[in-house]
Amino acid sequence: MSRMLATGDHVAGHALAMAGEANRDARGCCAGAYPITPQTEIIEYLSAYNFTKGRIVLVESEHSAMGVCMGAALAGGRTFTASSSNGLAYMTENIFAAGFYRLPTVMLAVNRTLGPPWNIWVDQGDSLMMRDAAWLQFYCDSHQDLFDTVLMSFRVAEDPRVMLPVIVALDGFVTSHTQMVVDFPTQEQVDNFLPPCVVPHHLKHNHPTTMGGMTFPNETEHHRFEIQQSMENVITVLEEARDEFEEIFGRRPAGVMETFETGDADMILVACNTMARTLRNVVRERRAKGEKIGMIRTKLFRPFPRRELLQAIGGAAKVGVLDRNHSPGSGGIFWQEIATTLQGGPDILLQDYLVGLGGGDVTPENINAIIDDLQRRETASDPQWKDTTK
Amino acid sequence: MMEITICGRGGQGGVTLAKIIASAYFLKGKYVQAFGVYAAERSGAPIQAYVRIDDEEITNHNQVQHPDHIVILDRTLIVPQIDAAMKPGGTIIVNTTPERTDCQENFSGRKLASIDATGIAVANGLGTRTVPIVNTTMAGAVARALGLSLSDMLAALEHLNFTGANKTCARQAYKQVKTFIVEGIPSEQPASTEVRHNAGLFDDDLGGMPKIKTGSWATEKPERRRLTPPCNHVCPAGNDVRGFVEAVGKEDYDQAMKILLETSPLPAVCGRVCPAPCMEACNRAEFDASVNVREIERAAAERGVRPPPATVSRDQAVAVVGSGPAGLSAAFHLARLGYPVTLFEADKELGGVLRTGIPTYRLPRDVLDQEIDYILSHGIEVKAGNPVGREDMLRLSQDYQAVFAGTGLQNVSDLDLGGEGPVKPVQGLHFLERVRWGNVRLDGKRVVVIGGGNTAMDAARSALRIGADEVRVVYRRTRSEMPAIHEEIEQALEEGIMLDELVAPVRLTDSDSGTLLTCQGMILGPPDDSGRPRPIADKSPEALFDIPCDLVILALGQSHDISILPEGAEIKEEGTLLGLSGAPVFLGGDFATNEGTVSAAIGSGARAALHIHRNLSGEDLFPEPEERVADSDDIKFHRFHHRPNEAVKTLEPMVRRRSFDEVHLGFAAGPDGSGASAEASRCLSCGVCNECDRCLEYCPEGVLKRDPEGDGYLFDLEYCKGCGVCMTACPRGAIYMASL
Amino acid sequence: MSAMTPSKPYRNHLLRPGNTNCAGCGMSVGLQFLDEALGDEMPVLVIPSSCGIVTAGAFPTSGYGAPTAATTFASSPAVASGISAVTNMNDIDNPVICWAGDGGTYDIGMATLSAAAERNEDIIYICYDNEIYGNTGGQRSGATPIGSVTSTTPQGKSERKKDIMSIMAAHRIPYAATLSIGHRKDFLRKVRYARSVKGFRFLLMLSPCPTGWKSEPDQSTELIELAVRSGLFPLYEIFDGRRYRINFRPDDTDVSTYTKQQRRFRKVWGDTGDLQAFIDAQWQYLDGMATVFPAKEPGTPGTKVERL
Repeated sequence: MSRMLATGDHVAGHALAMAGEANRDARGCCAGAYPITPQTEIIEYLSAYNFTKGRIVLVESEHSAMGVCMGAALAGGRTFTASSSNGLAYMTENIFAAGFYRLPTVMLAVNRTLGPPWNIWVDQGDSLMMRDAAWLQFYCDSHQDLFDTVLMSFRVAEDPRVMLPVIVALDGFVTSHTQMVVDFPTQEQVDNFLPPCVVPHHLKHNHPTTMGGMTFPNETEHHRFEIQQSMENVITVLEEARDEFEEIFGRRPAGVMETFETGDADMILVACNTMARTLRNVVRERRAKGEKIGMIRTKLFRPFPRRELLQAIGGAAKVGVLDRNHSPGSGGIFWQEIATTLQGGPDILLQDYLVGLGGGDVTPENINAIIDDLQRRETASDPQWKDTTK
Repeated sequence: MMEITICGRGGQGGVTLAKIIASAYFLKGKYVQAFGVYAAERSGAPIQAYVRIDDEEITNHNQVQHPDHIVILDRTLIVPQIDAAMKPGGTIIVNTTPERTDCQENFSGRKLASIDATGIAVANGLGTRTVPIVNTTMAGAVARALGLSLSDMLAALEHLNFTGANKTCARQAYKQVKTFIVEGIPSEQPASTEVRHNAGLFDDDLGGMPKIKTGSWATEKPERRRLTPPCNHVCPAGNDVRGFVEAVGKEDYDQAMKILLETSPLPAVCGRVCPAPCMEACNRAEFDASVNVREIERAAAERGVRPPPATVSRDQAVAVVGSGPAGLSAAFHLARLGYPVTLFEADKELGGVLRTGIPTYRLPRDVLDQEIDYILSHGIEVKAGNPVGREDMLRLSQDYQAVFAGTGLQNVSDLDLGGEGPVKPVQGLHFLERVRWGNVRLDGKRVVVIGGGNTAMDAARSALRIGADEVRVVYRRTRSEMPAIHEEIEQALEEGIMLDELVAPVRLTDSDSGTLLTCQGMILGPPDDSGRPRPIADKSPEALFDIPCDLVILALGQSHDISILPEGAEIKEEGTLLGLSGAPVFLGGDFATNEGTVSAAIGSGARAALHIHRNLSGEDLFPEPEERVADSDDIKFHRFHHRPNEAVKTLEPMVRRRSFDEVHLGFAAGPDGSGASAEASRCLSCGVCNECDRCLEYCPEGVLKRDPEGDGYLFDLEYCKGCGVCMTACPRGAIYMASL
Repeated sequence: MSAMTPSKPYRNHLLRPGNTNCAGCGMSVGLQFLDEALGDEMPVLVIPSSCGIVTAGAFPTSGYGAPTAATTFASSPAVASGISAVTNMNDIDNPVICWAGDGGTYDIGMATLSAAAERNEDIIYICYDNEIYGNTGGQRSGATPIGSVTSTTPQGKSERKKDIMSIMAAHRIPYAATLSIGHRKDFLRKVRYARSVKGFRFLLMLSPCPTGWKSEPDQSTELIELAVRSGLFPLYEIFDGRRYRINFRPDDTDVSTYTKQQRRFRKVWGDTGDLQAFIDAQWQYLDGMATVFPAKEPGTPGTKVERL
């Protein structure tokens, strides 16, 4: 174990590299890699890494980066890549392909606003766009959370009960380019945590099968159903992995979500990534003033942990959602998910707040204004934009 | 609502037919719906399309489950249960032909509207041979069956921009469709017992064989056939020419001999003196040059080991009169069948014309003797120096169970050239006989030979060899009409013999300067009965001229001497004699046929032997009737590479013109035989599979297999899509596509 | 002995009976030759969206007797790169073969193909070029020849076919060659040679589509032979992207003997001036390259320029 100062991209790259290296006694690792701000430093880190048994294929596009990952996974290797924003959009076709192929790739999505117009700053609309692609999605609020989540992701993705790819999202620049203190484990510890990668349906030499050929409606529906079942296994697998992670690394990583002061709260705010850390500070301050406010940091977005979320909300009367994303014509995407979760449940006032879109700084002042707004509310309204809540 | 299901094959236009039918009703103000089932349609794969027609707006978008009517576009889709879900009372409109009975077998109790749409579409040029497009034709039949008027349907076709042949076809179908009810009770849909298992992505048993039996897509199937190669067809001896050439090509000379001896006991002889009509007929002549079959046969006879002779196994004795090629052939075949044979020959030595008429520089005596020895080794008793006359024939027919007479052509054609001068024409055959005994020289003499056959050439070349100073051959037609083997003419000319074409002898006179043969120049007229141009005297004064000479040899052909036949005997077809009280007498060879070649005589003798065998044993060993002859259209010449004939060796003209040593020395690349096998490998094997593997190699589906029994190839019709690539790949026309 | 000996059960055929290809599909013949050339070796097939993946038939069966990955349309060289990266690091020697149509090669897959070639990935890339988007019913592609009618060029295509071989040669890959399903021995030799070298190998196979070309299925291999003999589809090899070897020279076959058998050329039929100009220009270039930059290995098969 060593304590280092590193950027988020460096942390992500190091975690991917250690995971890849951990598969050296099995079929090795492979990544397709292509640069885009603000994830470029991840693939730079990987390209410089001296793998015992691994190869970073420097391709001509994100589309091919995922293509390489799919091929490598189909050959039984451990696979990973990273992208952002329009890169993810360009990769989309193959992101869906990897999901429906059920190849356990881990991809870092360094969140960045989709353009045009040209905007390199954080917005979760890029990774959330992939919500229907049969990928797991984790959102990370800190460097340590990021490192731990990457390792956990390989464990969960490659578990035969899951066997699905994973997106690990982090904030562009706010996390990716910020130097923070982080604990890195030894390679031996990582080796102990990550068993050899086994892709059960990899192309077996001398055993003819066609992966991805023509499939008729009955079987397609069956495959979707199997994916849904695997999604439902994720939380169990994740909890087991947390226990083992704690045993090996001596700290307990975050699970499906983190709650803070929710027990007796009559008002709960929901946020993810670094925004959630700011929110936690605000909640702590207002608790000190005697306000019964709690918060939930959503971490696992796919599968969406409906039961855990309902439990965490408990008896609160009001829920406010901070969405750093926007689905035009609807609203925030986390808000939609939570609305679905609350549907048919207790009578709760659910209000959406669109904040920090296009990389705007989300300050304690912004959050205090949101809390004030929520406290005043008798009824919910359409999603509220940051300016309108001032 | 009326619902129609259309069953067709990918590429036949079933979905378009749905649209046509729908259009016809649409134009009459109905609500309609037309759609196909879209999957990975492939040309030939069974597909379905549907039509709905109603007075109300149609809101059902499911596939039609229980159609009122069914349209079947392809006769191969007439299968059990295809009508099982159809409602009672509807019509099955089917593309089929009246002679087929599968509708009756499969559609009991149904009303049928039957039309040969394929025939109509093909006749009008719609689609391709393998995938005729029948949809517009079927539209005509559908209109009639559903009670639409022809003009309703033509309007629909026009609405969809179908014109010309499409409308013609629809019109013809409308008029020709036959409607009737099949006897019996309609079949019912059986309850489905299939339990569906949906495979998962991680199942262990993925990647099984495709379940589609694509043989059901085919409209044609490949079949192997064996045409008759032209060489086999024309061989007067009945040899399997292609067969022994193929064996030589594989350097299996023993096999080649075995094949040859099935039909001919004289391959070494034929390999030297046969005029080889097979080489005339050879399809390869059209491509570069005929296969040199004669030389290959000679090589086979030189190198192949003859199988051990058969022994006498029957007690019905047969007499053979005459030991020329016909007699030898008859005796040989009879002996091989186990008959005790006695061979009668007037001469002291056997061989007939082979010995007396063919000079040794063409047929060395040891070669002939060897072949005769092998024939005789089959237990044949020989009575040489034993001429058979009329009385003897009668006696033989009493003493033997069968008699074969092949005494050849003993009478020679004469020509009256007038005069009683010192130079008297001699007969070619007599001249050759004298030469054979070696007691004649012509040193310094001028010789004229009259005639254009092999005897003429033999006489001319022999004359040269016994010292003649100048030899000329006069012939009344041109060189290309000469019946002599062309190679012999060529070699004669090389040796310095002169050929006067279009010259007919008129008279022989003495003069002061010696004997003169007066000749008449000729020109070619229209063809005569033989198909050759008739020579006509040239009327111009300069056309009459004299040739000074010392000897004139006549070689004008021969005829048979029937004096040995019993009086009152009548020659029947097949060469048997009627009017005898004793055993049947068969005639053969030149004696009966006057074909004039060794190979014809051999064939004749062999056929007579089979006749005799059938008479004596009741067993019919005649060959099966021939298939169609493979002509050059059957051969894909572009599959082959141009390759000249293998070189053959001959004695130099200046050496051989004074020598009786054999002129031909076989292939230049001998005696290891490489020349023979190389030449034999030029054979195209016309119409006969020689297992070249090309069909196997090019089959797109990989469903052609070698027959484990060793008989070529097997087509797996369960999977064969009937594309016909094997047919096209076969260079020799041994595969064709039969319709299903 | 041919690969299709009775001892080889159907399930081991690279293209299994029961596949859904049309009768007389050129791809089918190509797969048989590929199978024969590889002998007992089982490749990994990587097939982008195309008829070639429909060939595999319905899940869970497989029309291919080899492990096969279906990829998105533009991705086969990328997926194959990933596969070969992992198989190579695990010392698995089975060849990784992309089997792609012209749409996936000349058009949508061009960038991916170019990149994989530039990286010199250890892949055999075979383009079965039927000169249309066959799987979608026959639309124009960059490979469609001038004059050909497609469902999107109803008056005949007015542009020339893209010279993919020169494009691939410009990547200086170890080996590029054209394959004819009418010339089996040449086909087998080239596949075997390709198999014997490492790095990116590009093989272009003109593949008749009876459905789209509107030709008789039984003429498929003959048509390709005519394309070769008329000079329309030259058979040649390029070593290291620089050294050229012509395998067959055209004979006096007129290209109209080829076009007249395909109704896709119905706007042209015997009037083949544009195609002949294309042929002439193509051979002028090819002859020039083969003269100035001849392939040098002495004694290797195909050194001799043979006439048909």
